[in-house]
Amino acid sequence: MKLFKVILLTIFFITPLKANTIYNLIKIPNLELYQIDKKNQLRYLYASSSFRLGVKKNIVCMNSTKEDYNKKFKLISYNLNRYSKDFLKKINLRYIVMCENLSISGINTAGIPDNIMKTLILDIKFNEKYFKRAIHHEVFHIINDSFKEIFNEDEWVKFNNKNFKYADCSTCTKKLGLNTYTNTNGFFTEYSQSTPSEDMAETFSHIMTLSPKKIKEINDSDNILKNKVEFIKYRLLKIYKDFKFSEELKTSMNLTVK
Amino acid sequence: MIKKIKASLFEKIIFVFLITLASVTLGSYFVIKNKCLFIKNHNPKNINFEKPENIVILNVPCGNVIIELYPNVSPKGVERFKTLIKSGLYDDVAFHRVIKDKLVQAGDLEFGKKNSINYGKIGTGKSGLGTIKSEVDNDFNFTKGSVGLARTFKNDTEDSQFFIILQDEPLFEGEYTPVGKVLYGLEVLKKIKYQRHSEYILRPDFINSFRVLN
Repeated sequence: MKLFKVILLTIFFITPLKANTIYNLIKIPNLELYQIDKKNQLRYLYASSSFRLGVKKNIVCMNSTKEDYNKKFKLISYNLNRYSKDFLKKINLRYIVMCENLSISGINTAGIPDNIMKTLILDIKFNEKYFKRAIHHEVFHIINDSFKEIFNEDEWVKFNNKNFKYADCSTCTKKLGLNTYTNTNGFFTEYSQSTPSEDMAETFSHIMTLSPKKIKEINDSDNILKNKVEFIKYRLLKIYKDFKFSEELKTSMNLTVK
Repeated sequence: MIKKIKASLFEKIIFVFLITLASVTLGSYFVIKNKCLFIKNHNPKNINFEKPENIVILNVPCGNVIIELYPNVSPKGVERFKTLIKSGLYDDVAFHRVIKDKLVQAGDLEFGKKNSINYGKIGTGKSGLGTIKSEVDNDFNFTKGSVGLARTFKNDTEDSQFFIILQDEPLFEGEYTPVGKVLYGLEVLKKIKYQRHSEYILRPDFINSFRVLN
């Protein structure tokens, strides 16, 4: 035991202090600064080695390669540039953490939003096909967490058919499909049917990624979704009156993930 | 009759060598001990300032640090900072958190005073004036020498503690309330006592005085 203490003390005394500004700010270890966006001031960080978080260290994410960070950063920043500096400030989002194989208690997830810490952790290897939509989906969770009273779930639930019931939690169901329904019937995806907040996030992510023409088509054919889309739009404008929904920049760059 | 014994050349060389060695050792001791040697002390009286009303002088063990305050960037923050400086409350307060070449932090008026320092609570003390709101909306580059108000983990908890950064910290922008920038004497701050293994300092250096120029 004494020997152990001596070794421990020796390590302590020969290890110099390494102050980590990022850790001091958002309490996530092993991160490096990738870039600060000049337009909306988002700080992009990347995991230089894997990290564990949470009281029981149940949140885990791995570091990725430089090539993957470079590739996904373009896509992430392109999509997040649709949110203005003022809007991001309002919803309390400042730090974007890029890493891969993100999981909570062993369950893989696209992102972990934390409006208190102003941070969104994104798994850059999450479902390539829906990655773009997942970015906006996670942003909505930040919005929702910051304005719970505005996105009232009791009001939202009333849009659905009376006999429909959400699951108790997003991981308490097997309805995890992310394909956009051809026949929507009140929901954009299977995952929308998990919980009201996931339904809202899915609705928002579709508003942000589908063309206005497509949204109009859906509105014309599905009255429930029409109400849901209007709800999200109206409430968002309540938070930030200059919010832009249409994807004006979409066609100027071909950034779809192959 | 006493017979004189002449020292040989070898003995003379040894004698001169020992004297030189003793002088160098003694000299080195004083040079090493005096951490403020070769540090220029800036006298504010010899400098013309554009806005003298916004100049404050922080006097620390190795000399003066001349700071310009920016009331146009953080009006409430600067007002609080100036109030505390004018009242002399920062005198004899410890630099309780120091990270070599990165940051110095002081201003715990409750637990950081020279004669009543409380190592268990230092860094958590209050001024008694209450907290103020964070002012992080205006553009401000946290470059080397920037002075900001420290806060707890939450916004709007700024009180009396302040920090001065010794290197550029772009991530601080929008996080901390900036109150000014060091114009002269940054090298003086680099001599503030630090510890290699901890941010918090045992037997720290203290602020000698903190005054408004006018």
